[in-house]
Amino acid sequence: MAKVLEGPGMGLMKKWGITVPNYVVVTSVDELTKLGQANEWLKKSKLVVKAHEALGSRFKLGLVKVDLDFKAAEAAAKEMIGRQVGSITVSQVIVSEMIPHKEEYYCAVKSTREGTDILVANCGGIEVESNWERVKRLALEVGQQPSAEALEKVAKDAGFTGPLVKKMADFAGKMFACFDSEDAQYLEVNPVVLREQDSELIALDAVTLLDGDAKFRHPDWNFAFAAEFGRAYSKHEMEVMAVDSKIKGSVKFIEIPGGDTAMLPAGGGASVYYSDAVVARGGKLANYAEYSGDPPDWAVEVLTDKVCSLPGIKNIIVGGAIANFTDVVKTFGGIINGFRKAKSEGKLKGVKIWVRRGGPREKEGLDAMRALKDEGFDINVFDRNTPLTDIVDKALQKQ
Amino acid sequence: MSILANKDTYVVIQGGVAGVNAARRMAEFCYLIKRSLNVLAFVYPPDAGKTHEIPYGSGLVTVPIYKTVAEATKHHSQINTSLVYIGADRALKGGMEALDDSHIKVVSMITEGVPEKDAKILGRHATKLGKVFNGPSSIGIVSAGSCRLGVIGGAFDNLVLSKLYREGSFGVITKSGGLSNEIIWICSQFADGITTAIGIGGDAYPGTDYVSYLEMFENDPQTKAVIIVGEMGGDLEERAAEWYGAKKRRVKLMAVVSGFCQESLPKGMKFGHAGAKEGLKGEGSARAKSDALKNAGATVPATFGALGPAIKEAYQEMLKSGQVKEPVEPASLPKLPKSIEAAMKADEVMVAPLIRTTISDDRGDEPCYDGYPASELINKGYEIPHVVGLLWDKRLISKQEAEIIKRIMMLSADHGPCVSGALGTIIAACAGIGLSQSVAAGLIMIGPRFGGAVTDAGRFFKHAVDNKMTVDEFLVYMKKNHGPVPGIGHRVKSLRNPDKRVKELVGYVKSLNMKTPCLDFALEVEKITSVKKDNLILNVDGTMAAVLVDIGFPVDSLNGFFILSRTIGLIGHWVDQKRQDSRLIRLFDYLVNYAAPKRREVPPLK
Repeated sequence: MAKVLEGPGMGLMKKWGITVPNYVVVTSVDELTKLGQANEWLKKSKLVVKAHEALGSRFKLGLVKVDLDFKAAEAAAKEMIGRQVGSITVSQVIVSEMIPHKEEYYCAVKSTREGTDILVANCGGIEVESNWERVKRLALEVGQQPSAEALEKVAKDAGFTGPLVKKMADFAGKMFACFDSEDAQYLEVNPVVLREQDSELIALDAVTLLDGDAKFRHPDWNFAFAAEFGRAYSKHEMEVMAVDSKIKGSVKFIEIPGGDTAMLPAGGGASVYYSDAVVARGGKLANYAEYSGDPPDWAVEVLTDKVCSLPGIKNIIVGGAIANFTDVVKTFGGIINGFRKAKSEGKLKGVKIWVRRGGPREKEGLDAMRALKDEGFDINVFDRNTPLTDIVDKALQKQ
Repeated sequence: MSILANKDTYVVIQGGVAGVNAARRMAEFCYLIKRSLNVLAFVYPPDAGKTHEIPYGSGLVTVPIYKTVAEATKHHSQINTSLVYIGADRALKGGMEALDDSHIKVVSMITEGVPEKDAKILGRHATKLGKVFNGPSSIGIVSAGSCRLGVIGGAFDNLVLSKLYREGSFGVITKSGGLSNEIIWICSQFADGITTAIGIGGDAYPGTDYVSYLEMFENDPQTKAVIIVGEMGGDLEERAAEWYGAKKRRVKLMAVVSGFCQESLPKGMKFGHAGAKEGLKGEGSARAKSDALKNAGATVPATFGALGPAIKEAYQEMLKSGQVKEPVEPASLPKLPKSIEAAMKADEVMVAPLIRTTISDDRGDEPCYDGYPASELINKGYEIPHVVGLLWDKRLISKQEAEIIKRIMMLSADHGPCVSGALGTIIAACAGIGLSQSVAAGLIMIGPRFGGAVTDAGRFFKHAVDNKMTVDEFLVYMKKNHGPVPGIGHRVKSLRNPDKRVKELVGYVKSLNMKTPCLDFALEVEKITSVKKDNLILNVDGTMAAVLVDIGFPVDSLNGFFILSRTIGLIGHWVDQKRQDSRLIRLFDYLVNYAAPKRREVPPLK
C-alpha cells in the first residue's frame, strides 16, 4: 500500500470528476506570491495552509493554519517552510480555499476480499468515528460496477433525503470510479461538505492509498509515495529503498529510534517472527529489516551497513529460516563484507552478533560466519538444529 | 494421499529464466522420488519453438517451449497444472490464459508484486470455473513423495533432510515462502513429516484462502493435522478459526501467528509481507487472530520456537491412539549426481586434464602472463615486446631486447598492397569477407616463399654458428642438404639497391653493446653470396632471424615475429578497403596467359 499526500490525492479525485477546493502546493513564499497574482481565488477566499508532508498531528504542531487572508497565508507559509520536525524538514505547504458549509458527510471506498465496499454516512468529521453504526455499506463483488439505484439506496439508508440522495449517490459513484480506475486500495473523504453558495458536494479532506504494485500501468502517477507511519523516510531508509527498487529479490529497512536490538533477518515471514521474539523477551527493536528472494550480495552489504550504523545497539540478530533458493554463501558474503567495513569504521564495538540460518550451501555460509571470530568479532553461529528464534532468547538472556 | 499435487500432476510452466530454475528444482525432486519429470512444457513466446534442457540425475530432459498454453496442452494432454512465473505487469493475462484452458485445473502464481485488483480478478475467475488459483507470491506446493510445484523445499539435501521423499501426516499452509521449509523441516524432525505443504503467498488477498485448503485437507485421510503459519493483517486466520470452530473436524488444527511486535511499535509502523496490515479498528492483529484460533480449539503455541514441541506432542498422541504408525524409511535413496566441479572440490574424483599450459592463467580477476599479472606489468612500464617475450619464450626480456623487437615489428608491419599477403587480404575484403577471415586469407600466404623464411633462416644460421662452421663449409652444407640459403636473396633489392630496412636494423643492433654471433655470420655469408650474384643479399627475414637468435628466442617462434607484425598491415588493408567500400574485383583477361587447349568437341561418354 502506498500513501499519497493530499495534493496529488486531490488531483486524482479531480481527474474523476469529484469537486475539490481550489488548492496549490508550493515550496516557497515567492511561488505563492506569484500564484496569488495569477489566481483570483487566492486573493478572494479565506485560506487554509497546511504542511504538505507525511506528518501526523499537524494541527498540534502548528502546521495547519485556518481562516487566513492571502497576506496571513503568505506569513503562515513562510513560518512553516523549512521548519524542522524530528527527522524531517517541511519543504512544501498546501494552500487551499476554505469552503463555507454547515453540513458534513462521509464517504469511503475500500478493498475487501470479495470485492469493494462503498461506505456512506450523513455525518462527518470526528462525529463519524463515534457513530460508526451510522455508516452504511454497499458491497460490490470483484468486477461489479455500482448501479445508480444501488448507490441511491445506500444514500437513503444512510439517512440522506430529497435532492441530497442523488447528489450523494453521484459523489459515491465518482469515488468508486476513481478507486477502480486508479488501482486504489483505500479512498476516504472526511468530511464531504455541502458548499453553501451552490449546494454542491465538495471533498474537503482526503486519504488516498494506492496499490504501489500497479504503478506500471499509471504513467501519470508523477508523485512520490509518502511513508505510511506518520513520519518521512530517513536517509538510510531511502538509500535501502533505492537499492530495493533496482534488484532481483528485496531488501527492506525501517529505523525504530531508541532500540538496542538490531535486526538483520532473512524473509518477509521469518523477520516478523524474529521481531515478535525480541519483543516477547523484553528487548527493544532498533529497526526492522529483511532480505529475501536471493538478492545480490552487494545489496545485502548495503543493508548490513545501515544496520551496523544504528546507534546504541547491543545485539544484531542475523536470523533466517531454511531458505528455498536464497544462496546462503552469497548473501552471507554481503553481510560479512558489511560487518568488516563497519568494524574498520570503528562500529560494532561491544556488539554481539547472533546467526541462525539454513538453505542452499548453508554449511559453507555458516562456516564463513564462524570464521569471523578469528577476526575479533563477537559472533555466535547456529545451524538449522537450533529452533528459529532461539538465538533471540540466547541474545537477550545474556544481557 | 495428498491434496492439489500428486503423482498425476503434470505441469506447464509459463515464464522464462525463473521458470527454468524452478523446473530444475522440480527435476531434482522427481529424481529423488524416482518419477519422470513432471514438467512437460514451457510457455514463453520469445523462445517458442525452442527447447530447454533440464538436468535429471546425470542426464538431460528436453522440454519444448510453446507460444501459448493452448498449444502446450494440445501437444501434452496430460497437463493439468500451470505454474506462472510471468512478470507482474503481464501476470493477469497469463493467469487468465491458464485458467481458461480446459485441461488446467490448478494455477499457482509465483510472480510477486501483482496488483491487488488483478489477484482478486484471478481468484474470482478460478472460483467461477471451479478451479484452484494459488498465489500470487506463492513459493509453491509440495506433496511429499509425489509432486513438487516450484522451488518449495529448497536444495536437494534439504529435500532429503526434510524427508520429502515419503508421506507424513501433517498438512502445512503458509503465507511465508521462507518459513515453508522451516515448518516442513520441523514436521520431519518432531513428527513423521508432511503430506502437502502449500505456500499461499503473502499478499493481502491470496487467490485461495486457508479455509478452502482446510476443507481439502479434511477430506484427505492421510492428513491428520494441519499447521497454519499466519501473519497479522486481513482476516484469513479468523475465517480459518471460524471454520474450525463451526463443527467437529477430523483434522487437528495447529497455528502460529506473527505480528505481536506491532503492539509495542510506534503507531502506524507496519512491516512484513504486503498483506501484513492491521485493520482500522485492531481487527487483523496478531492477538485477535491468535485468540480466535485458540477459542476455536486450535493449538496455538506462544512462540514459533514452541511449535516443534507442540507438533511432537500431537504426533505422540496420534501414535498412541493408533491413528498413525511410525513411518518406514526407505533402505536407500537416490543421490543427486555431483557436478564435476563439486566432486573435485570434495576430492572424490581425479580428472586427467585434456590440455596442459605453461604460459598463462586467467582464472583469477585478471590474466597472468607467465605468472605476472597484466595490470602490474602495465603499471611497471613493461610493453608489448615484453608480453611477447613472456608468452613466446617465458622470460622477462631486457629493455634493450624489447627495443629491438619493437623495431623489428615496426619495420615489417606492412609492405604495400602488391605482396602476396596483402593482396590475399584485399581480394577477400573486396569480396565482402569479414575481418578475421580476410586477414586469415593474407596470413595463409606466409610460407617458404613469402615471409615464412625467418624460422628456417634462424635455424640454419644457428646451426652454422653452433657447429663453428666457416662460411664456405656452411654454403657447401646447404647446397648439399637443403638448397638455397633461407634469408639470403631478394626479388627486387640488390647490392646496388640495398634494402633500407636491413641497413636500419643491422646499424641499430651493431650500435649496441651486445654479442651478435649469428648476425655477424649472416653478414659474412652475404659477402660471399652477393659476389656470386648481385641480389643474393641478406634480406629482412634473414636479418630478423639472425638478430632474434642472437637475443635468444627459440627458433620455432621466429616466423611468429613476421606473422604478428604483418597482421598489423593486413588489418590495415582490410579496414582501408572497407572504408572505401571497394567493389568485387576479378583479373582482367589480358593479365592471364591462357595456355589451356583450344576449344574442342567433347567425345561421347564411354
